Amino acid sequence: MSRLWLLGHLAVRNLFRNRRRTACALAAIGVGAAGLLLFSGFNAGLMSQYRDNTVRAHLGHGQVHVRGYWGRAHPRPSEMWIAETQAVLATLRRLPGAKDVFPRLSFGAMIVFGETAVAGQGLGVDVAAEARFFDKLNVVAGDEGPGRPDGLVIGRGLAEGLGVHVGDQVELYARDALGAITSAEATVVGIFHTGQNEFDKRAFRLPLALAQRLIGTDRVETIQVALGRFDQWPAFARAAEAALPALQAMPFDAIDIVYYKHGVEWLEAQFGFIRAIVLLVVFLGTFNVMTMTVLERTAEFGTLRANGDGRADIALGQMLEAAALGLAGGAMGILVAWASATFLLREGIAMPPAPGITRSFRIFIELRPEHALQVLALCVGTAGAGCLLPIWRAVRMPIVQALRHT
Amino acid sequence: MLYELRGVWQRYPCGPEPVPALRGVDLDVARGEFLAVAGPSGSGKTTLLNLLGLIDTASAGTVRFEQRDVAALDERARTRIRRERIGYIFQSCNLIPVFSAYENVEYFLRKAGVAAAEARRRVMDALEAVDIAAQARRWPQEMSGGQQQRVAVARALARDPDVILADEPTAALDHVTGLAIVNLMKRLNREHGTTFVFSTHDPKVLAAADRVVRLEDGTVQR
Repeated sequence: MSRLWLLGHLAVRNLFRNRRRTACALAAIGVGAAGLLLFSGFNAGLMSQYRDNTVRAHLGHGQVHVRGYWGRAHPRPSEMWIAETQAVLATLRRLPGAKDVFPRLSFGAMIVFGETAVAGQGLGVDVAAEARFFDKLNVVAGDEGPGRPDGLVIGRGLAEGLGVHVGDQVELYARDALGAITSAEATVVGIFHTGQNEFDKRAFRLPLALAQRLIGTDRVETIQVALGRFDQWPAFARAAEAALPALQAMPFDAIDIVYYKHGVEWLEAQFGFIRAIVLLVVFLGTFNVMTMTVLERTAEFGTLRANGDGRADIALGQMLEAAALGLAGGAMGILVAWASATFLLREGIAMPPAPGITRSFRIFIELRPEHALQVLALCVGTAGAGCLLPIWRAVRMPIVQALRHT
Repeated sequence: MLYELRGVWQRYPCGPEPVPALRGVDLDVARGEFLAVAGPSGSGKTTLLNLLGLIDTASAGTVRFEQRDVAALDERARTRIRRERIGYIFQSCNLIPVFSAYENVEYFLRKAGVAAAEARRRVMDALEAVDIAAQARRWPQEMSGGQQQRVAVARALARDPDVILADEPTAALDHVTGLAIVNLMKRLNREHGTTFVFSTHDPKVLAAADRVVRLEDGTVQR
């Protein structure tokens, strides 16, 4: 039986000494732990939803483009587009983790309907292939027009601006790679609604072949990549850049740094602040309980020290008691959070549209083991920290003074 | 000689001037003595026992424990002596309420590094020596004051210390129980050779002592 075991044994017994006080402390820590874990789960659910929307609506898990192309202006962009597309696509499809690849060509164009003309951002895509993966595009009218060589799917904001509906004919005007104005007729086959207002007001999609004919090129600008899992990206990127050294592989969060990455960082900063408040409540609860406990047991500490217990023994015993309190409270909180997420919040939480987004959505609480462990560690650490000051005061007190304490 | 006290003063801060609790006390305590410290309340009995128990240090003068000047020892060394050489019994038992009688005795033995089997034997021996072995599994709050004081004596005895200091061990007990506790201590002193120094102001308890040191206003009365 080691010294630590003896002190731990005493600490656990002491938890049952004043049951009402222990219950109050457990409740404070438990509520804090449940709150922290549920908020972590909510945050994780929100991030997953956000990430899934970003990946499955338009970006994929990442993209491949010519090295040096992305993020800067070029006098003749078409020269920086990917040539020999079919060979590149075949190479990328063979790489580890690759589930599908989607060649794209984006361009600025004027869409004219009757006497109304609106500037938009066109995206030439492999319609049939993209329909298999990009299931969050959210087509709200018509369809994505598979098999229609002139089919145009446009954002809801853009459709409203033009006043077009499914079946309407529009004229597209663009500049080709040499700067000459080209045009093509297209038919609106669908209207989509990603929820990102700015995107939906400008974006339209059309078959890649039609886009290439408008721009006068057989190249593609980017190739979006769909993987089996998110965590396969680093391996895929390494393999892609090794196999095709002229190309650069970029993950979706780097492409969408403004919306996704900044959004995630903003949410995490907010979570950090709320976590600090919850931990402060846990700290104050434990501090209060331990102050009362130490005051009540001061004479007992005097007895223990008079009989040969050192200051470190007293301090360690009380810290173990606080840690046990934190552990038990944290475990109770985790149980409460799990029960809440499993039963009460099983249907998720309906959320209003976020800033810049026009779609409401539902968040499902995602409880993760690593978050539960983190919460447990925080509860134990905070409870331990909450007992430091009262213990420090108690062990510094001379034994004779402690023995006189009532 | 177990203890040698020379010119010991103890002053406590109280208002503008420190109040002396002991004034130049000289005292020797030999091994195996059964010594009573007598005197009215406020005469300095507890202060003297605190100095003997190494739980306080004198303001002036010298306290020697086995010829070692206590003032020269650091806190760690004093703690070790308290743990290994001195047993302490208080007026109000001060048992750990969340431990049974058995565990109250066992705790300090195990803390002192005594192995489990050896500790078990010594705990039961000590509880039997104070006639409380049958109550070994009871909690302090289920026991009478006399029974609790017996456990406190067993707790001090089990560690086989050189000296057991008892500060008014009978004050919280009725006369019969108090006398039984003193007779028990006397028996242990005879059988085990353990030195006992205890304070009291009960004349009937004093009668059991081999030697009585009388304190008045912090001085030893000759």
